[in-house]
Amino acid sequence: MADLLPPLTAAQVDDKTKVDEKVDYSNLPSPVPYEELHREAFMSLKADNFEGLRFDFTKALNQKFSLSHSVMMGPTEVPSQSAETIKIPTAHYEFGANYFEPKLMLIGRVMTDGRLNARLKADLTDKLIVKANAQITNEPHLSHAMFNFDYMGSDYRAQLQLGNSALIGATYIQSVTNRLSLGGEVFWAGVPRKSGIGYAARYESDKMVATAQVASTGAVVMNYVQKISEKVSLATDFMFNYFSRDVTASVGYDYILRQSRVRGKIDSNGVASALVEERLSMGLNFLLSAELDHKKKDYKFGFGLTVG
Amino acid sequence: MAAKGPLKLKFKGKTTKGSKGGSTSTSSSSSSSVSSKFEVIKDWTNWSLKKAKVATHYGLIPLIIIIGMNSDPKPHLFQLISPF
Repeated sequence: MADLLPPLTAAQVDDKTKVDEKVDYSNLPSPVPYEELHREAFMSLKADNFEGLRFDFTKALNQKFSLSHSVMMGPTEVPSQSAETIKIPTAHYEFGANYFEPKLMLIGRVMTDGRLNARLKADLTDKLIVKANAQITNEPHLSHAMFNFDYMGSDYRAQLQLGNSALIGATYIQSVTNRLSLGGEVFWAGVPRKSGIGYAARYESDKMVATAQVASTGAVVMNYVQKISEKVSLATDFMFNYFSRDVTASVGYDYILRQSRVRGKIDSNGVASALVEERLSMGLNFLLSAELDHKKKDYKFGFGLTVG
Repeated sequence: MAAKGPLKLKFKGKTTKGSKGGSTSTSSSSSSSVSSKFEVIKDWTNWSLKKAKVATHYGLIPLIIIIGMNSDPKPHLFQLISPF
């Protein structure tokens, strides 16, 4: 495997100049938002593998406004009681409208079966951002909506979440040093009456990011991403639930090349997957996705084209 | 009188139809007005959320399109429909 990785170049020279910087505790950088704590790791490890055909066409009418048309055809999984996965071939068309402005972002997507998926992000003031996310269906009691209010302080972020069936959550993350940020979250759900609390920590440097998250629901997630060069990064992840005793470990890679991006991972559940996005020409991207689940004997292959 | 009898029964029938309305008719008048105020507020918020859900479901995409078509530079209606 060593010959697949490009040789390390002189990127190590830059580290020497940064060693002598003193930490200025009154002027720490703003931390990452709490929900994006694991973002580098999830870029390689949670790539969106799909099955079937996917065609996305985005048409920009002007700088701020664009329309999108998507067609998806393929087997979709239906939840079933038995161990076998049941797949039903479906095809749908989704129409979407996006409006992007520096202070307001509105995204709406509607499918042929009437499901609406809407997202809103508005900057009310410099530091206060409101976000909303809703999925509305024709069937009663299956729609849900979530509103988030984010406050960004100089070196901390606080967020309040209000959700559909009486769900309230709050998260807080604070930069402790230039590289380390610690945070916590609390939530209360009305419908299955439970509440939970969780803690998270994130340590990053130019070359690596390590995060850990513990929650009272029993989930422990730890991941580590090493950026080997501008083009290559490797990630590894360990998820553990101490109530249900499930453990999953995965290792993944992300190669960002000039004309393409290849991401793949292999899992301790016997799942190997990869996603290739190749830029055929300006605005035209070709996607290939494969996911092999050897334990459940479920093999998924997909291909797609993205225009615009 | 005779005319008021069925009217009273009808009124009682209406309050017991609601999910928790049955209990309010037997409690004392002051607490019944407070709890019936809560019922009214709860019913009103349920009604407004249902209407908001229907309005969002039908109106969000047209709203985004209207906001987009009025942003500058103003796109032409033809660009909305044609594929290029």
